[in-house]
Amino acid sequence: MQSGSKQVECPECGASNRIHSKNCRLCGNLLQQELAKKPRVQQQILRRTDFMAASRANQKYTRYLVTILLLIAAGFGYLAGWTMQVSAGAIPAEANDPLFFVSHWGLIAAAALLAISMIWTLISFKRADRIIMKMTGATLADHSRDAQLHNVVEEMAIAAGVPKPTVYIIETDAMNAFATGMRPERASIGITRGLLNKLNRDELQAVVGHEMGHIVNWDIRYATAISILVGLILLMSDGVLRTGRYGRMGNRGSSRNSNGGGILVIIMIIFAIVAPIIARLVQMAVSRQREFLADASSVRLTRNPQGMISALEKLSHETVKFENANRATQHLFIVNPFRNFSENVSSLMATHPPLNRRIQRLRNLG
Amino acid sequence: MDIGDWIAIGIILFVIITIVGMYNGLVNLRNQVKNAWRQIDVQLKRRHDLIPNLVEVTKDYMEYEQETLEKVIQARNSAVSANGPEQAIAAEGILSGALGKMFALMENYPDLKANENVNNLMEELSSTENKIAFARQFYNDSVMGLNNGVETFPSNIIANLFGFKQGTYFEVAETEKAAPAVNLR
Repeated sequence: MQSGSKQVECPECGASNRIHSKNCRLCGNLLQQELAKKPRVQQQILRRTDFMAASRANQKYTRYLVTILLLIAAGFGYLAGWTMQVSAGAIPAEANDPLFFVSHWGLIAAAALLAISMIWTLISFKRADRIIMKMTGATLADHSRDAQLHNVVEEMAIAAGVPKPTVYIIETDAMNAFATGMRPERASIGITRGLLNKLNRDELQAVVGHEMGHIVNWDIRYATAISILVGLILLMSDGVLRTGRYGRMGNRGSSRNSNGGGILVIIMIIFAIVAPIIARLVQMAVSRQREFLADASSVRLTRNPQGMISALEKLSHETVKFENANRATQHLFIVNPFRNFSENVSSLMATHPPLNRRIQRLRNLG
Repeated sequence: MDIGDWIAIGIILFVIITIVGMYNGLVNLRNQVKNAWRQIDVQLKRRHDLIPNLVEVTKDYMEYEQETLEKVIQARNSAVSANGPEQAIAAEGILSGALGKMFALMENYPDLKANENVNNLMEELSSTENKIAFARQFYNDSVMGLNNGVETFPSNIIANLFGFKQGTYFEVAETEKAAPAVNLR
């Protein structure tokens, strides 16, 4: 058994922490007061208490994560082009080394891969919303029957300074909400009937504010672009692993690069195994960051953290399953339709942060 | 041309693009402030249109509160006929106070609250109140964005050069700021 002397109680929330840890593991409160003078730590405290700072920091994280993804994709393209150039024997005359040289094929392949993902993203921007609406079984909300919902959406649109999105209802007892739309000017918000029935006006406003946050932060566009990039990386690694398995026969003929080419193939295969895992983790990390950001944006719009907190608390007691969701649309919803909402640990593969972490962060904002 | 010329051209191009970008950014911010101000006007007009309907419906139920209803109508009329932003802000403040009192009194009439017509009007009016508040909030956020652009380096140089001015915040009137006195006796 652990001895009690190694634990220290957090003065804010009472959770027990290890004696040397800097922050409380439940509420993130600073435990070692002498650290409070450091500018870095002060910045962290500010980020937890100011929603503007929270949203700026969040956008910075997203940019880092997207940069990592782009680097992975470009690196993959370069490796592929390089391998092809070596195995085709088209090594430039001025190269000092038959294996390690600046590969023009690699540069071209990297640029081509980024271009493909960009064009693909643009094409899918045109079609995505309608398909998603059909998939979730949403219908247009009636103006007289759901007047309050229409009003709340319009209020939040005014607060965000964007045109009012189209309002959809999903006729199910499950509690959930989502937003789609590639531009803030042409977006849609969908709410389930169960959510509408169980939330009061303030809580509904907070949930709509969260979805409006996704819209004005361009999260749907982010998610689409990222999932295409990740898809491309998965596709490439799949291709590499297949040719690694079956294509070895063809390479045996050329004697000039049989040694160097072998090393290259090993690098390539390791990359093909590791890259998709990292890409997936980054994708999920972006998704979780955007959820926190949308919560903070909701508070920025409503100026009422309590509404969001009690809405999330009601959502965490939800038991009805939402049957119209699938893996392709899960990241769009306010709470993940597949997960157990009461779980505490932040899983690396989760699209959403655990609800109690989200509530904790909102408490810090209030 | 040698490499020095190219570098010089590059620097000049960079400076020009930066200046154009900052100028356009400031114009966008200024237009956003103007548009936000108009949005407040739109919502205030909607409130003026809704109030006579609500008073008409509630008149029969709230016969002992004629004085309050009179005040609401008076405040509404003076808000409609107000000239200039300063007068308008003051008149709207008085109207908000009168409406708040009327809403509070309506809680005393269960018949009134059961009337679906009244309920719909109440939802519309309280939503309009919210919209006015959110439109103000967006206006003030926009003003903050513009002022940040006008004051911070380096865009303040461009702002001075082309005469961009700071926006004025929508301040809450003193009468509204004071919390309403509650008498529980």
